[in-house]
Amino acid sequence: MDIYFWVFAVMAVGAGVFMISSKDPLPSALGLLTVFIALASLYLHLNAPLVAIFQVTIYAGAILVLVVFVIMLLMTPGERLGEVQRNVSYRIMGAILGLCATTLIGLGLKGVYDLVGERSLPEGFGSPNQFGELFFRNFLLHFEVASVLLLVALIGAIYIAKKKV
Amino acid sequence: MGTVTLTHYILLASVLFGLGIIGFVTRRNALILFMSVELMLNAVNLMLVAFSRFRADLSGQVMVLFIYTVAAAEVAVGLALLISLFRHVRTVDINNFNILKG
Repeated sequence: MDIYFWVFAVMAVGAGVFMISSKDPLPSALGLLTVFIALASLYLHLNAPLVAIFQVTIYAGAILVLVVFVIMLLMTPGERLGEVQRNVSYRIMGAILGLCATTLIGLGLKGVYDLVGERSLPEGFGSPNQFGELFFRNFLLHFEVASVLLLVALIGAIYIAKKKV
Repeated sequence: MGTVTLTHYILLASVLFGLGIIGFVTRRNALILFMSVELMLNAVNLMLVAFSRFRADLSGQVMVLFIYTVAAAEVAVGLALLISLFRHVRTVDINNFNILKG
């Protein structure tokens, strides 16, 4: 299924170009979202369903929402947002993104393992079971360090963004 | 077009990483700089997952999870800094961020 790779590769590069060339940060964020979704689709192709799920939930879900919130917070409201919504390229990006997400869901339902076909991989490679086995056995210390890092970032972010420092 | 090999994924990741670098050095909007960094991190993630797939070694996918953690922490702290900075200079143009200038 090489067409699968090419569709999402072209989509990722096109959205990346749109992202860095867009004048306003909000369409730029939409381009970034398209890159995230296209990469999630490629992860499915690479026998990494769990990483694809995390890509959508963490990157497209959490991180991008945070970025968009800050964009809304820092831009002058009203006329800027309306200007963006009237922008044709913004709508085209939205249509591409919707198409991409629909393709992703459709292919996920069809079963990605059927698509990639027979290749010499160990049984259950990339399955959440094997991933969790490796993650919580060999990388337990890293996992704990990462949780401390998240806690520190949480406290730091609240402290820095507070009104009176 | 032939079958998709590791080389294709390496090229794609390199192009995305390059786009991130171009965005980072050419744009003046701090928010777009942030997004360019995210694009570069994603390019690295793609490379890790591709190597993991073609070398049949699951550790690459675990490493991607740690990159997600670091990226989340980076975005949280970075955007907090940006909000804090915005209160002082009322802009996101990095040319105006010169309060540390000697």
